[in-house]
Amino acid sequence: MTFISIEFLLFFAAIVFTYYGIPHRWRWVLLLAASYSFYASLSSYFVLLLLASTVFTYFTGMLIEKQETKKQKKKAMLLGICVLLFFLGWFKYFNFVNDSVRALSTYLNWNYAVPYQEIVLPVAISFYTFQAVSYLVDIYKGKQKAERHYGYFSIYFAFFPQLVAGPIERAKKLLPQFKVEQTLNYENLSYGMKRIAWGFFKKTLIADRLAPIVAGVYDSPDPTGSQIVLATILFSIQLYADFSALSDIAIGCTRMLGIKLTENFKQPHFAVSIGDFWNRWHITLSNWLRDYIFVPLCKGKKKRSEIYVAIVITFLVSGIWHGAAWTFVLWGLIHGFYRVFGDHTKHARGRMASFIRLDKSPSLHKWVKIAITFLLVCFSRVFFRSDSVAAAFENARLFLTFSSWKPSGIVEAAEMFSLLDLVIFGFFFVIMQVFHYIERKNASTWTWLSQRPAFARVAVYILIVVSILVFGVSGEGFIYGGF
Amino acid sequence: MGRLFIKVIIIIIAALLLFIPANNFVKDSYDYNINRDILAFKKNPHPVDIINLGASHSMYGYYFKPTGLSHLDLALPAQTVQYDFKLLKEYGKHLKPDGVVIISISQMTFANFEILDIGNYYEILDHSEIEPFRLLDYYRYMYFPGANGESVNAALSGTLKSYRWDSHKPWANNGKSYAERKYEHVEAQYRQATKKNYVEQNVKQLRKMLEYCKEQGYQVILTMEPVHQTYQEHFDEDVMNRLVFQYLDTLEIDAPFLNYMNDPRFADNKGLFLDSDHLNSEGRKKYSWIVYEDLKKLGYF
Repeated sequence: MTFISIEFLLFFAAIVFTYYGIPHRWRWVLLLAASYSFYASLSSYFVLLLLASTVFTYFTGMLIEKQETKKQKKKAMLLGICVLLFFLGWFKYFNFVNDSVRALSTYLNWNYAVPYQEIVLPVAISFYTFQAVSYLVDIYKGKQKAERHYGYFSIYFAFFPQLVAGPIERAKKLLPQFKVEQTLNYENLSYGMKRIAWGFFKKTLIADRLAPIVAGVYDSPDPTGSQIVLATILFSIQLYADFSALSDIAIGCTRMLGIKLTENFKQPHFAVSIGDFWNRWHITLSNWLRDYIFVPLCKGKKKRSEIYVAIVITFLVSGIWHGAAWTFVLWGLIHGFYRVFGDHTKHARGRMASFIRLDKSPSLHKWVKIAITFLLVCFSRVFFRSDSVAAAFENARLFLTFSSWKPSGIVEAAEMFSLLDLVIFGFFFVIMQVFHYIERKNASTWTWLSQRPAFARVAVYILIVVSILVFGVSGEGFIYGGF
Repeated sequence: MGRLFIKVIIIIIAALLLFIPANNFVKDSYDYNINRDILAFKKNPHPVDIINLGASHSMYGYYFKPTGLSHLDLALPAQTVQYDFKLLKEYGKHLKPDGVVIISISQMTFANFEILDIGNYYEILDHSEIEPFRLLDYYRYMYFPGANGESVNAALSGTLKSYRWDSHKPWANNGKSYAERKYEHVEAQYRQATKKNYVEQNVKQLRKMLEYCKEQGYQVILTMEPVHQTYQEHFDEDVMNRLVFQYLDTLEIDAPFLNYMNDPRFADNKGLFLDSDHLNSEGRKKYSWIVYEDLKKLGYF
């Protein structure tokens, strides 16, 4: 059962009805049963792993809290983190490390005989492991008390709307919300439904319409430069629409249950710098990396060069978290480099903007920065999307070749779409951009819309529903669902 | 809360009202009704002289009415060997004792693994034969095809045939652009199929189907339908050996193989083709006569 299915909508509708129909003291049982059923429908083999990780983290949390000295607490925390990371490492990185060591051994003529292992990646393991690590660290730091109610703790670990691909939540935000008695609320239900519909819109009308086009180019043995340029730009749109749709659906579902999740996206493709981009893209992961990797690495460091090393390491972790492949490592390194370079040249770039008088027209300056940031992000995504390092470098070369950007070549490459598909995609893409534009001008498009006449509001909702119903296509799951 | 309920109801009713014409549009489309002949046969079955299997090349390839033979066309677009076999098992009983089963072999036969639209089979096969059969998908296909983006796209594409890039038009650049895109598509499909072991599965299926025909006493011939020369340029001998013949050879088939792919009577005559690899009605008639006569020469009928 995936989010984009009638089954999920029926399942969720049943959960909402039951949730508000039963006394508060039984709701945790319902949410827990729903979460495990949902997980079992995706990955029945690994329900036991999820259960084992939950039990282990639950007791480790209490163990940390029980320790008397800071040193003992730290030992318990590190033990807990090591075990959690061992599970993650075994399932996600064993073959990556194994293949890399084998390749190195072959190169150095060493004898290395560990064979490739058929290991299936448990769904959502990267997400719930990060949540578990943050829980243990927060207990160690005294920011969070170990949860005594196993039921609530299990829901925090496996809460079905955000289990598959986040947002990665902290226990101190989520746990208290489970415990508060949520009442049936018009605003929550209405907002939740709108967010779910908008998630379906982005996923079925933008992301899944682009997926075969992008795959067609990246799976091709000899794409042209212009095809790579166009496919990479489209991939950026696909990735955003796909992942943000997942967050929209998660946020919408939980809101209907009266629970608020952290926003994961703030129009990242309108970022004015790479730093700004990471404040807008997968925000909960960026915050997690900042709090649990970057800040500890920077502790006691004052030299700029040391901070830069911490930045690169943080992005390296981000890359490895995304996928067990060297292409993701390179993607992380590229972003680390972007970030360091951006910081190091900040003043020089400011001076250059003054020199060419770009700072005299702030609006133009802003759009130039947005365009450059977007292109830098697109370039890094060549590595994110390519299947191998060799293919990534070849595609990157094509992306950077001047002739690949010739307008005539790009127009020719656009013929990868059928004309009809292009028109349909273009129409819905414009709607998404209008939505974003309103959001940039106002705090929230939904609030803006609620101030319009009832007829206009209903017309917009009908447009969204009918578009999904008639033109929506559904592909194979979500990109971030595979991480 | 009542306000929200009323609003949701209004939106659902309005969406449904708008959806009905879209749904009817898809239901009436050519693509949605692509299996109409098989359905008609299912409602009114009768003994037949010829059954042909295969994908779109075969579907657009045969019209035996002028020859006086009764004929059942079981070919559907992108049909896999697996579904050829399922259909043959379902409808083979209607073949006359001296009837012939034409198994069409194309460039995609061994690389084809994805059913374009599983819905095509809901009414013509037993549900236990459909993999995977999901009740919700079944009801959606049967009653709400307008809620399937792919079906809507197909219906729209069929209606707006002229609304295409020049390079997507079948005979633009003398058919070369179409043939090139098709070649790239087949190559991509073949790469996937070899990577995922589908080729081997298709070979196995074909072997099983041939054994089944033998058990049932069906007379079998294999054919390859004619294509235009622009298509032949991409699918030369080496390519065809790689995509098709190396696998056919392993089967050591005890049945005639009539290969018309490079037939000069068709190769340079655009008037016989819809596009460079599908015959039009005239081409279909001409080709079917040729097949009929060749079968007679071989002692059939």
